[in-house]
Amino acid sequence: METVTIAIPSGRLLEGTLQTLETAGYFAPGEWRTTRRLILPSTDGAIRCLIAKPVDLLTYVEYGASDLGVAGKDTLLEQAQDVYELVDLGFGFCRGIVAFPAATAEGWEAKSPLRIATKYPHVTERYFWSQGRPVEIIAMHGSVELAPQVGLADGIMDLVMTGRTLAENQLVEVAELFRSTARLVVNRVSLRSRAEAVQAVVQRLRAAVAQRAAVTSG
Amino acid sequence: MRLERWQQIPTGTRDLLPDETARVRQVATGVLERMRRWGYREVTTPTLEYLDVLVWGEGSAAGDQLFKLVDRGGEILALRPEMTTSVARLVATRLRTAPLPLRLAYAGQVFRWREAGSGRLREFPQVGCELIGAGTLEADAEIVALAVEALAAAGVGQFSISLGHVGFLRALLAGLHLPESELEDAQALLYQKDFVGLRALLERHHADASHVNALLALPTLRGPAALEEAQRLVDAPEVQAVLSDLAGLERMLRAYGVWDAVTVDLSIIRDFEYYTGIVFEGHTAALGVPLLGGGRYDRLLERFGVSWPATGFAVRVERVLSADESGAGGWAPDAVVAFENGSRDAALACARALRDRGLTVAVEVQGRTWDDVADEALARGTGRALLVRGQTVVVRERGGEERTVALEDVTRGHGEEDARWRR
Repeated sequence: METVTIAIPSGRLLEGTLQTLETAGYFAPGEWRTTRRLILPSTDGAIRCLIAKPVDLLTYVEYGASDLGVAGKDTLLEQAQDVYELVDLGFGFCRGIVAFPAATAEGWEAKSPLRIATKYPHVTERYFWSQGRPVEIIAMHGSVELAPQVGLADGIMDLVMTGRTLAENQLVEVAELFRSTARLVVNRVSLRSRAEAVQAVVQRLRAAVAQRAAVTSG
Repeated sequence: MRLERWQQIPTGTRDLLPDETARVRQVATGVLERMRRWGYREVTTPTLEYLDVLVWGEGSAAGDQLFKLVDRGGEILALRPEMTTSVARLVATRLRTAPLPLRLAYAGQVFRWREAGSGRLREFPQVGCELIGAGTLEADAEIVALAVEALAAAGVGQFSISLGHVGFLRALLAGLHLPESELEDAQALLYQKDFVGLRALLERHHADASHVNALLALPTLRGPAALEEAQRLVDAPEVQAVLSDLAGLERMLRAYGVWDAVTVDLSIIRDFEYYTGIVFEGHTAALGVPLLGGGRYDRLLERFGVSWPATGFAVRVERVLSADESGAGGWAPDAVVAFENGSRDAALACARALRDRGLTVAVEVQGRTWDDVADEALARGTGRALLVRGQTVVVRERGGEERTVALEDVTRGHGEEDARWRR
């Protein structure tokens, strides 16, 4: 069967992705940790993994440079690219929220116009638009929680996992926009032109997710 | 080096050099010629339409991806993002009384606003056709068969057409018996191909198991066993009707001799608003995006006041070219013609005679010496170089050998000289 390419994200979701690939039997435990290569064939040669920046990942898949990919739902929502989202991989849980400084969180709705700093300008704009609330988006690439403290923005829209960063920066959550986990996505042409090989990978990863879920709950 | 504005072109647009233009033209004319043989006649519509016309045809969501401009009288115009709506407008106005069915083809540039850096073109060529006024399976079969021939005529080597039906998806969604707003959500999730979200929504509502299973199995419902598998999964009459339509289509496409290039694929998901019946896409393994797309759209013409069914497809010419790995060959004319002082009239007559015989001929216009002209031309692959000298012609061949022949033998294609040129 032909080799299928799967793009996996560096950063937050990398560890969970590799553990899932190990559970599915594509890599020996720890095998990937000994290399710094960006393209890695699996032990059985059935797949090869390329490690991509999370923000670029869906682009690889949409254009077919990679048949499959692992991406956070947060990225899928923000980039709205044309890919098939097939499996909830179950790890990388986080929430997309709006937060304000503790001092102004009360009555934030009254403020107009609102200035919100975020790494997710599209999601944020859609949210406030659906609420009928005018908003000025300040698009940032990191350390979003800094913005309200220095007067760059009134509040932020960002991901939270434990809420610790929010608390440390005296920010209070006021609304939840979405919940996110890692998802398996597929290129629309690969799903057809390499159907068998792609479906085989999807099935194996689905089974790995179920197995890992059983281990966690059992 | 800093580029000045006058050295740049807008994001998402392209200049095509002679070789590239020739390839685009070749693909477009190849496809149009194939359509012509099936009785499809080409129409031309304006690049600019009233915004209202485009939004009327395609729905208000289309407005976000239009390039708009304001006419001096204050009317809002837009560059067409595809041609089907324009053809529908044309048919519903100027061809309202024409005998049906109408077989129309088109070729032209279309424009869509795209985010900078998305790698997507904002202007690209489309060639397509529409079969209007026939709501039969026969008409669907003709369009799918023609789509196969169009990709073959475009020079795509290995390709396949994936054939689905929006009626299948509609029937599955309807069979869930969800409340209206949830149904819209489910449809939106399906359109976004978000099967994770769809599963979550359906589990929340405890919808009918067979419909849920069929919906979630969609990405695998393709290939020779797809129809049987779908039949097994859902026992609803609306679903069975769609599946028997597809089975009928398969029989016809076998008769057309194109079934080898077609795969039933119930997971083909295209715009729900627009399409009403079969939907299909053309793919090749070398490219991650479809080469063509189309289907049946029986409600579009209704919006323009004539309730005629219609079916059609459009080919993405630039994608066909990027799927083609052969690349462009070099180009050079068949002959260059230079002349000595006083022989201009004879040389131009000679060039004209050769062009009339279908050859590509470039006449020397820079006043260079014969050796300069001939060396440069032959070095870049020109067939032969000619020097007209009164009533005789010096012919230099690619290998460098020269001979002198009568002008008349060259222009009229006489005897031995004619045989040489035909080689």
